[in-house]
Amino acid sequence: MFACIFIPDFSVQAIVRFEPELRGRSVAVLGGGRPPLEKVVALNERARQSGVEVGATKSQLEAWENLVLRARSESQESSAHAALLDCVQSFSPEVEDTSPGIVLLNLAGLEPLLGPLPKIASNLSQHVSQLGLEAYIAMAANPDAALLAARGLPGVTLIPEGREAERLGNLPVDVLLESFSSTFSSGFSSFPSDVEQAARWSETLDRWGIRKLRALAALPEVPVSERLGQQGIRLQQLARGAVQRNLRVWEPQLIFAESVELEHPIVLLEPLAFLLNRMLEQLCARLSARALAAQELRLELKLSASQVNDDASFAETPTYKLAGKIDQKFTRTLSLPTPMLDARVFLKLLQLDLQAHLPGAPIVKIDLSAQPARPRALQSGLFQPVFPEPEKLELTLARIAGIVGEGRVGSVELLDTHREGGFAMRHFAPVEPALKLRTKVKSSGNRKKDEENMSMQGNEKTCELAESHAENIKINGEEKMSAVIALRLFRPPLVASVTVREAKPVQLCCLDREDIAGEIVWTAGPWRSSGDWSEQEGWSREEWDIAVSSDNEQLVLYRLVQDRLSGKWFVEGMYD
Amino acid sequence: MYIELHSRSAFSFLEGASLPEELVAVCANLAMPAMAMLDRDGLYSSPRFHLAAKKAKIKAHIGAEITCAALPPSLSGQFRLPLLVASRAGYQNLCRLITKMKLWVGRKEGASAEDADFIEHADGLICLTGGEEGPLAAALRQAGPQAACEAVRRLTEIFGRANVYVELQRHYHRDEEYRNRVAIQIAEALQLPLLATNGVNYASPRERELADAFTALRHHRTLATAGRLLARNAERSLKSPAGMRALFADVPQAITNTLELSSRLEFALNDLGYEFPRYPVPEGETMMSFLRERTREGWQSRYGRADAELKKRARRQIERELNLIDHLKLAGYFLIVWDIVRYCREQKILVQGRGSAANSAVCYSLGITAVDPIGMELLFERFLSEERGEWPDIDLDLPSGGERERVIQHVYQRYGQRGAAMTANVITYRNRMAAREMGKAMGFDDDTLKRISAAVATWEFKDEHDALDRRLCDAGLDLKHPRIRKYFELCLAARDLPRHLGQHSGGMVICEGRLDSVVPLEPASMPGRVVVQWDKEDCADMGIIKVDLLGLGMMAALKDSLELIRDHYHEDVDLAHLPAEDPVVYSTLQKADTVGMFQVESRAQMACLPRLMPKKFYDIVVQVAIIRPGPIVGNMVNPFLKRRQGREDVTYPHPSLETVLGRTLGVPLFQEQLLRMAMITANFTGGEAEELRRAMGFKRSEARMKVIEEKLRAGMTRNGILGETQEQIIQAITSFALYGFPESHAASFALIAYASAYLKCHYLAAFTAALLNNQPMGFYHPATIVKDAQRHGLKMLPMDVTRSDWKCSLEAVASGQLLVASKGNDFAGKNIAVRLGLKYARGLREPGGQALVRERSLAPFASIQDLARRVPELRKDELTTLAEIGALNSVASGQSSVASERQNLKLHRRDALWQVERAVRWSGPLLDELPEDELPEIGEGSPLAAMTDEERLVADFRATGLTVGPHPMQYRRAEMKKMGIIRACDLAHLPNGRRLRIGGCVIARQRPGTAKGMMFMSLEDETGIANAIFSPDLLQKNRVLLISERFVMIEGILQNQDNVIHIRAEKVSPLRVTKAETVSHDFH
Repeated sequence: MFACIFIPDFSVQAIVRFEPELRGRSVAVLGGGRPPLEKVVALNERARQSGVEVGATKSQLEAWENLVLRARSESQESSAHAALLDCVQSFSPEVEDTSPGIVLLNLAGLEPLLGPLPKIASNLSQHVSQLGLEAYIAMAANPDAALLAARGLPGVTLIPEGREAERLGNLPVDVLLESFSSTFSSGFSSFPSDVEQAARWSETLDRWGIRKLRALAALPEVPVSERLGQQGIRLQQLARGAVQRNLRVWEPQLIFAESVELEHPIVLLEPLAFLLNRMLEQLCARLSARALAAQELRLELKLSASQVNDDASFAETPTYKLAGKIDQKFTRTLSLPTPMLDARVFLKLLQLDLQAHLPGAPIVKIDLSAQPARPRALQSGLFQPVFPEPEKLELTLARIAGIVGEGRVGSVELLDTHREGGFAMRHFAPVEPALKLRTKVKSSGNRKKDEENMSMQGNEKTCELAESHAENIKINGEEKMSAVIALRLFRPPLVASVTVREAKPVQLCCLDREDIAGEIVWTAGPWRSSGDWSEQEGWSREEWDIAVSSDNEQLVLYRLVQDRLSGKWFVEGMYD
Repeated sequence: MYIELHSRSAFSFLEGASLPEELVAVCANLAMPAMAMLDRDGLYSSPRFHLAAKKAKIKAHIGAEITCAALPPSLSGQFRLPLLVASRAGYQNLCRLITKMKLWVGRKEGASAEDADFIEHADGLICLTGGEEGPLAAALRQAGPQAACEAVRRLTEIFGRANVYVELQRHYHRDEEYRNRVAIQIAEALQLPLLATNGVNYASPRERELADAFTALRHHRTLATAGRLLARNAERSLKSPAGMRALFADVPQAITNTLELSSRLEFALNDLGYEFPRYPVPEGETMMSFLRERTREGWQSRYGRADAELKKRARRQIERELNLIDHLKLAGYFLIVWDIVRYCREQKILVQGRGSAANSAVCYSLGITAVDPIGMELLFERFLSEERGEWPDIDLDLPSGGERERVIQHVYQRYGQRGAAMTANVITYRNRMAAREMGKAMGFDDDTLKRISAAVATWEFKDEHDALDRRLCDAGLDLKHPRIRKYFELCLAARDLPRHLGQHSGGMVICEGRLDSVVPLEPASMPGRVVVQWDKEDCADMGIIKVDLLGLGMMAALKDSLELIRDHYHEDVDLAHLPAEDPVVYSTLQKADTVGMFQVESRAQMACLPRLMPKKFYDIVVQVAIIRPGPIVGNMVNPFLKRRQGREDVTYPHPSLETVLGRTLGVPLFQEQLLRMAMITANFTGGEAEELRRAMGFKRSEARMKVIEEKLRAGMTRNGILGETQEQIIQAITSFALYGFPESHAASFALIAYASAYLKCHYLAAFTAALLNNQPMGFYHPATIVKDAQRHGLKMLPMDVTRSDWKCSLEAVASGQLLVASKGNDFAGKNIAVRLGLKYARGLREPGGQALVRERSLAPFASIQDLARRVPELRKDELTTLAEIGALNSVASGQSSVASERQNLKLHRRDALWQVERAVRWSGPLLDELPEDELPEIGEGSPLAAMTDEERLVADFRATGLTVGPHPMQYRRAEMKKMGIIRACDLAHLPNGRRLRIGGCVIARQRPGTAKGMMFMSLEDETGIANAIFSPDLLQKNRVLLISERFVMIEGILQNQDNVIHIRAEKVSPLRVTKAETVSHDFH
């Protein structure tokens, strides 16, 4: 026998599980679209009864006074689903993770252990309900019949063997099509269905007047196969509850984690590094045994409750009350650009990170886990330039970040905007040259031929480009050289006080730098720009290039900027 | 002083953000004496710019920015060359240049001119070096200052050194300043004058936001992703001369040169050089003598048998008209229109002149119009007047569709592709389009855009709930959110701005010589057609003559009816000689039984007919004219009807008006009457009266009306008409504010209305088939037309692939089986029914349908499999649709429909669906090569249950939009009776004031602008149509229900007066009748 657990309105239930006070109230879940254009993507029965519909917008819902709105939470959904999986595992070792909110389990041979089927069903229902979820549960001789019954019949349903067709007969055809378009599109089961195909069948069956599974099951097989093909026959068998298949047994994710509880709290980084080294070697050995590498390292330190520092950086981490004391957790996550498997590098990276982010209290427990991934292939192309080893590169970047601060190291990406200095920092992870070359050549269109000459041609192209670039420089070099002028930017810009006469700045006084002050003897400008007016962060500025006579009677050139929205002046930079 | 010589209006579609009038107004405020408009690749805005400037006493310089490629050849990519028109030759060159460029490419987008084009058309044009999109900037960007200098040198070679100005623009950009320095050096090197401009894109800085939104739309991006494509700042507005002088203080000559250049631009748009083509006449004749002769011939046939008095009056009037035509040199125009009409007659294409041309006895004699203006005493000045200095306007109604196209192509052929063109129709942003496009620019998702489009109502009547902000709230948008607020502002700003150029439905302009020297031409989306860049009004304002070749669905229906009558009734009906005063026609009109009849079928017309009780042709003329916004708003309908019913005395505002208003019982109903009133009471001349008409027309202007009102008052005072009488007359004239019909036009329409009524009454089957074949047209959906015809006894046969043609056809029905007759007419017993045509199967493409008919004519289909094999053009979904509506039932049994009916072999729709599914499935390589007779038989019948009545209804409406079976309400009548719902046909027998319930399918919703926010709803049941009126309050309370429900129950008070029956609604609720998707024709 197989059992299926189906959580109706899963998105809503996943949220209500975390907010039990919402139980018994109308709840709608919003998702899709950028605020304020989100729409209802799911709702509970109570909300449905009050007339709310999927697709309604937030402001349309203002009419419903007692309706609770929540944003869709994928994390809550996955934790609810994980909880469901954990729960059913205590009943059967053979579990199928069918789709979010739906699991199937094989109950074969479990009756002597767990009692008769009704008892198992009732226990399942009770356990799921303890998770804060309300489920429809069905048991049948095959998984798909159980699945259909669970989706179509509320409460607990037990279908005796041989009576599947009879019990499923009254279900609408849509239950079958919806089940198999959503559930099996991800590749489960032998049923190669997709949403479009399901829609086509739904339309055809509707035209034929086939609305219940009983009617579908009753159609003669040969004519059905002539019209709908083998998939049609399969559909019919499913409608009769007569498809036998094995479960795709869910294997729990491999967890690579090490944990050490300390008798004496550690207060120095050095002994911590010693322990971390041992743990990392263990982890690497385990990963290596499975031919895996680490994509991410997660370090969780439990800090001594009595000596927690008042450091502001601790304030955001979660706290737990325990017997009147406060236990603090300190967590660091290292995301690696490529999967690696070198305990020494990991240790160095963790050390550098901890030096930059001190835990701030004695450590009583260490948890270290690694996120596994397939290891990186080492072989690279014959004509590729030597590329720094990712491990070393990552170490260097971590060192630099330790000095300049997080978010201040990486590759600069210019944003397509008129806003001055509009750029974003991306993690520095250079694309491997071989890949870059391949995409470049592919885009030129003549794929097959180009692939044959890929590397050679690529090199030639690069040479050509370089040559033409050099030529350009030669041609325009003379002119450009004379026009080159460097601007040293003050970061952040210096706040200034400026006297304006006849719409021109005439006197400058910089509050932070006394040396930047004086009469403005020459101006160029203004240069005006503004933008993002459709967003809340609109901006508007006016730039001037000015010459100020300094104390030693030398002229100094500055870039002066006025924020036209606030009226404030800044010295943004100085020209060499 | 400074003159702006480089600006774009919103007619540089999606580039400029202000209308030419707004730019001119700002220009006038800034005290600039002149301005130049250079729209992108066209002179789209020139007429409006010219007229606005004339009004503001500003000189309007004409020009355009021309997209070009490879000038000089070393440059790649496209850039824009700003050209200003210095002389008439220059204007003609610019028009030809644009035309050549547009027609060369064959499509509007991506057109560009080349070096040789400029060399050919350089004369009379002055060239600027442009802003950031100009040739100088492009060359500088691509190859540095030397190339820029070369580019400018090339321009001097093409246009001459004296005709090139080096342009400087300052928008506070650093890059631009570099370009300006290079430009100054080039000007010095080549000894060219500098010219300051601001490259204006909008009138004031606040329009920058709209310009940005347009930029995003033009590049198919959103405001968030358009990045640096958007403007850097808001400096492209019109700036004051003082501001520009300050900006260019370092190069003062660039400012003074604007005056110098402006003084060189002599050309103004009132110097177009347009001439209407001459008509070729035989040797020894002049156009006038030829026209006189043709008119004389016509007079003989039209008035030959009339009484002497009428003949005399006609001769006198014709002589008067001919003299005026001679004086105004319009003989060619009349001959050309006569020639078009003659061509139609030769080709047996129905044609009828309408509009003010029907006031002319010459037009009547020439056969252009069908209304006798002498007999009906129509006002000739309404058509043509010496003072007005305007061309006459003759509109010809033709059957819509292929025949009208033939006439249009005939005109093209006769006057050459560059000699004739359609007028354009400028598509402007209305609420819905503005909301949708601005939503796109803001990056809204498709779903939201669809919701907004659906919510933005377009009812004609607008109350506070219909304001755009309210509609956006209905669409679920929160206007308090700053982003949505911005979006709303953009929508408001975009309204009424032009979006793109369309093609006018029928206006054609013709020119002596080359039309492309008068106005640029461009290709229309329909192959073989070109359009001018100006719309109908602009052409009229510029004095270009147009002939409207309008497609009228009813003309096509009449023509089709005549053919069907000839083929099936074996009678030849001549529309020109229909029996006048046919009693059946008048009794039908009096009963308001007018569904499908031209112009008298609307709900408002039906409500008026029983009160007006038409008894003669002139009553139909009045009937056609009375339900118009003018008479309704002017409160003229009720007094007229009361007087007609003898419930009110006939009085006149002034005794002198008795002759004018006598025919309409002292109430002015027609435009001509108002004009005559002005002529009599205030001594207006014919031309002044026409000025009054134009002031009342579409482009109604308050200021213009005020001036005329004062003139009227002064005139009346002079004639001793004072006090209340004066007020009354002024009130009558000015309240005719909205559009009303001229009597001549109403008379032309009344002829068609009479013809349609006559055909419906006497040849119902032919008329219904013709109406169905020419949809969409008229007030009602085909479903309603079918039900109405069935109620009149017509047998409608369902679609059947063994019988149906592509169009609806007539079929003899087995004798003794059916009786086809209009109620109470002489057509009973002819046993002709209408067979629904294949064109009514939704999704069935015409080639597939025609192929089916063709194959069937070769041999009947043995089975569905046979049909699918022999007509491979039919796709699976098309066959499925046919099966679903029962069109394959006969063929499914493998028997002819008659034989299968006889043997009771006819299968049901699901049997056919079952077989179609098998027939379209490829049998696989194993059976593919087998000869046909060896293929396995699909077999008859199916395991599927037959459709229920409800399922059949749903399928019929889904796949054809109508049903020829019983009305959905008929299935539920017993239930409705229990609910106390009264049938439509029973309402006439109930007393006025009774509270009752009606229910049915909503077939029309209407909220006319003249009805003070009331909504009218028509409900149909199996017995007829019932009408209900909703107050604005009730509408607001039940808005969603009233707009979206297909079947409703209405409770209210019956108003049964003078055989006009309405329910004044008090309560409304949805009615669950069927899931079938019935359709309502909603008029907004």
